[in-house]
Amino acid sequence: MKRKLLAATSLLAAGTLFLAGCSTSSPNSGTANGSEGSGTGTVNLLGPEDPATFAPVIAAFKAKNPDISVKYSQVPFDQLNPTLQQRLGAKDDTIDVYTVDQPRLSQLAAQGFLEDLSSLKGQTKAAVPDAQYSVNLYQDKLWALPIWNSTQLMFFNKKALDAAGVKHPSIDPAQRMTWEQVVKDGKAVQAAGTQFGLLFEQVEAYYQLQPLAESAGGGSGITGDKMLTTDITNPGWEKAMQWYADTFSSGLSPRGVGGFQTSPVFTSGKVAYFIGGPWDIGNFAKSSIDWGVAPMPYFAGGSQATPTGSWSWGINPASKNKAAAKKFLEFASFDPAGNLATTEAQTIIPANTAATAQYLPKLEALGGDKSKGVGSLIAHENTETAKPRPVSIGYIQFEEIIGKAFADIRNGSPVSERLKQAAQQINDAWKQL
Amino acid sequence: MIAATTQAKVTRQRTVAYLGLSVLGACIGILFLTPLWWTFVNSLRPGSDTFRYLNPLEWETFFTATPSLDNYAALLRSDLGLATLNSIIVSGITVVVGLAICSMAAFALAAIPFRGSGIVFVAVVVSFLIPFDAIAIPLANLFRDWNLQNTYAGLILPGLGNGMAIFLLRTFFLAIPKDLVEAGRLDGLGWWGIFRRIYLPLSAPSLIGAGLTLFLFQWQSYVWPLLNGTDSQHILGPIALSNMQGQFNVDYGVMFAGSMVLTLIPLAIIIAFQRYFIQSVSTTGLK
Amino acid sequence: MSQTTDRRPAAEGRAAPTRPARRRRPAPLIAVAAAFLAPAFISLLVLRIAPAAVALWDSLYRHSFLQGGTVFVGIENYTDLFDNVDFKNALLVTLVFSLVVNPLQISAAFLLAVLYTRKAAGAKIWRSLVVLPIAVPPAVSAVVWSVIYRPDGLGNSFLSLLGLPAQPFLTSPQQSLASIMVLLSWIGVGYWMLFLIAGINDVPTELYEAASIDGASAWRKLWSVTLPLVRRPLAFVLVADTVSNFLIFAPVQILTKGGPSGSTNLLMYDIYTRAYTLGDLSKAQAEVIILVLLTLVIVAVQFRLLRSSDAA
Repeated sequence: MKRKLLAATSLLAAGTLFLAGCSTSSPNSGTANGSEGSGTGTVNLLGPEDPATFAPVIAAFKAKNPDISVKYSQVPFDQLNPTLQQRLGAKDDTIDVYTVDQPRLSQLAAQGFLEDLSSLKGQTKAAVPDAQYSVNLYQDKLWALPIWNSTQLMFFNKKALDAAGVKHPSIDPAQRMTWEQVVKDGKAVQAAGTQFGLLFEQVEAYYQLQPLAESAGGGSGITGDKMLTTDITNPGWEKAMQWYADTFSSGLSPRGVGGFQTSPVFTSGKVAYFIGGPWDIGNFAKSSIDWGVAPMPYFAGGSQATPTGSWSWGINPASKNKAAAKKFLEFASFDPAGNLATTEAQTIIPANTAATAQYLPKLEALGGDKSKGVGSLIAHENTETAKPRPVSIGYIQFEEIIGKAFADIRNGSPVSERLKQAAQQINDAWKQL
Repeated sequence: MIAATTQAKVTRQRTVAYLGLSVLGACIGILFLTPLWWTFVNSLRPGSDTFRYLNPLEWETFFTATPSLDNYAALLRSDLGLATLNSIIVSGITVVVGLAICSMAAFALAAIPFRGSGIVFVAVVVSFLIPFDAIAIPLANLFRDWNLQNTYAGLILPGLGNGMAIFLLRTFFLAIPKDLVEAGRLDGLGWWGIFRRIYLPLSAPSLIGAGLTLFLFQWQSYVWPLLNGTDSQHILGPIALSNMQGQFNVDYGVMFAGSMVLTLIPLAIIIAFQRYFIQSVSTTGLK
Repeated sequence: MSQTTDRRPAAEGRAAPTRPARRRRPAPLIAVAAAFLAPAFISLLVLRIAPAAVALWDSLYRHSFLQGGTVFVGIENYTDLFDNVDFKNALLVTLVFSLVVNPLQISAAFLLAVLYTRKAAGAKIWRSLVVLPIAVPPAVSAVVWSVIYRPDGLGNSFLSLLGLPAQPFLTSPQQSLASIMVLLSWIGVGYWMLFLIAGINDVPTELYEAASIDGASAWRKLWSVTLPLVRRPLAFVLVADTVSNFLIFAPVQILTKGGPSGSTNLLMYDIYTRAYTLGDLSKAQAEVIILVLLTLVIVAVQFRLLRSSDAA
């Protein structure tokens, strides 16, 4: 009986394998390369945002191109990458256009999950800031068009600063505060009765902490011709991470508050300085506290660096309606009106330069007097201090592992050893690529 | 006289035990409820106030003087309604079909003395040791080849054969005395008759337990439905809930309101079936 | 008599497909069993065991998109894993977790089942409250407990109310795993309790009365009457709970991501990250196979122990 059962199981497994084998060969030979399509019909867009976010751009596109409809479907943010990996891997042609997290672009391109858009290089270069052009390149080809951009700002609680007699920081990037000063003032504010001095919105995210290492002279953490060499144990990285560790061990920042629970700490008035994104302006405007905004600080004697980058959109090579997909993509990225429409329902900076110019005054108005001057600050950061995340096909592994190291450092792991361990883990993970 | 005092003592002891057990039971129950109660209270508050009353504890940590249904109103603008309906359909069909399939299998394993039943049982146990989320990727590729993506069948099928439910039912079926099978046979019942007329009626508690297992598997499924397709017609509850969390910020008020809706349905089921759950072999007339 | 002969063909005809000689010779047991088992067995085979076989197969390959293509590497994925410090740590954490959390949850579930089957005011209501957490979406349970475990959260507020010092909970490598266990017990204990309540209700009340006449204490009754009689449901709960706890990953993913310092890096979470975040499917499949084998060994030991205690 045992043998029979085994035989039956293996037969079935063999059948399964055969079917699985088919899925990568026969049925897809026709669809593997997709097709241009008629340039009309339906374009399926997949992304992690609420449907309301993209409703304006879809409507605006429809008004200009009545023969193309765009259908949007949402996947929860935390499941976007696995879902894309599985469905693009299976050459699913029900996805035509999808949102591409910019640092993941090179891996997606290397896997063959993005359509080559190099014919649009010239137009892209003309339409967006340099950093937004270069992040969409991999091996000198253009794989996606930038839609959104981002930066980070320092928000401060006016009442808390006033209570300690600490001067409000200026919004002028020429008078950017140093991290050393932030710590000093933050402690003074704590002494005057505010619970915490400083808090990062995404406490364990490389996106937000990369500028610390960059400012301390440590670089992005990835180097080499192929961008597959880790470099996170240099003095710059150690200095930045030691500083970060100290903000927690000294009680300036709270341990154990993560995810999206950080901005409520600021809006409940419990923290003096908060590092967050432009999307916070609208939320904070609705809160009851009095706040102001300033440039993201830097280390004394170091360089000034701020996070940048956000989402691009790319075309699935298996799409059967690429011509129409391309039209939609061009509208959403190159056409200032189209690009601006993607930001109508979500506080985020449009990638298109002309759209940004129209958008920033609106953003500034969201916070009223409190965010006065933030428009020109963001414009400055976009062109002068923005440090894009490294373009590497090993970025995903790097981000995951370094994120865990940040978490441990925050909870008190010895900095130097933990960085060495992370470097080792990243190298291990890259061996599989 | 002595007997009377002993009697009184026993009664008093019983009363003390009754009171003690009631208080203990209540305390533990309330302790288990506390986290959820906090969630409920915060679903009646704007999301910006969620973390306001954590430390130190005050009455507003667990109560609100200004309850508002805004968060629930916000749910009406989301997919949660359709998603809940879909989850009910998928879980409901899974429970009915799954219970039929699993109870039949459990019956064969518990009541029919056939050669090789041990090995089949091992296969059943092995099947529920296999982490479903870990094999979901190869399975999703298969389902794509079978054109099951974005269908109810694609969502329901993985929930049907549940090794744990079979194991559970077999455990309780084994407790049914073999004399009853004999008696049934003497009455002229075939195997199907024995299953239908003896085993099933005597197994209400374990069937409910197995049904709950099948139900929760589907009610909480999250990874699988996304791998199997993301069209908005077939969206399920947990995905709609997760879709409410933005990439840049989360409105915990709305999220908690959504979770209350998704908690309410299994809760209603658990409470509705409590009555049958305490029914057992000894109270269904078998002695 | 006539009644019985009438019923028989109809009943048996459904279990075993038509057989001309069925009136005299009943269908062989194996055929009857096969008919009852077929739907479940096929669905388990196709939907669980076959994909697991695919996983086993995949675990012998390595896919590289840098070099392009898939190569057969034999057991290299496995040897790589056993050379890896992080994997060995995950294995250890999983074993420690399993050894602590299962006895804890099962004894809690058993004691609660006993408590809530005694005569007491509102027992059904309180019992429902204990079962309630299983109904909560896992993502929300994790958020609620993150609020409890925050340094300025509900947990420390309660401790300070009792005059106890604040605890670091999830931010400390010493407390994080225990904190996860408490959260999982909150979710699961009520669920397992349900099955034990069903078992306890099967214990005939005469047995308790007999024990009372003998003058046995409540504790004695629990130990020598209740426990042996709920042996079967207890065995189910033991095995099912052990298996379920091997497959936990959602709270770890949301609350600790395996940290601090790998202290909550359970194997299933490691598998999940490797497969879904890092996209290293073949090594993840190798880990799945190791996890299944590990679970299998532990479950086999449990069955063996239960059987020998049966004999005793």
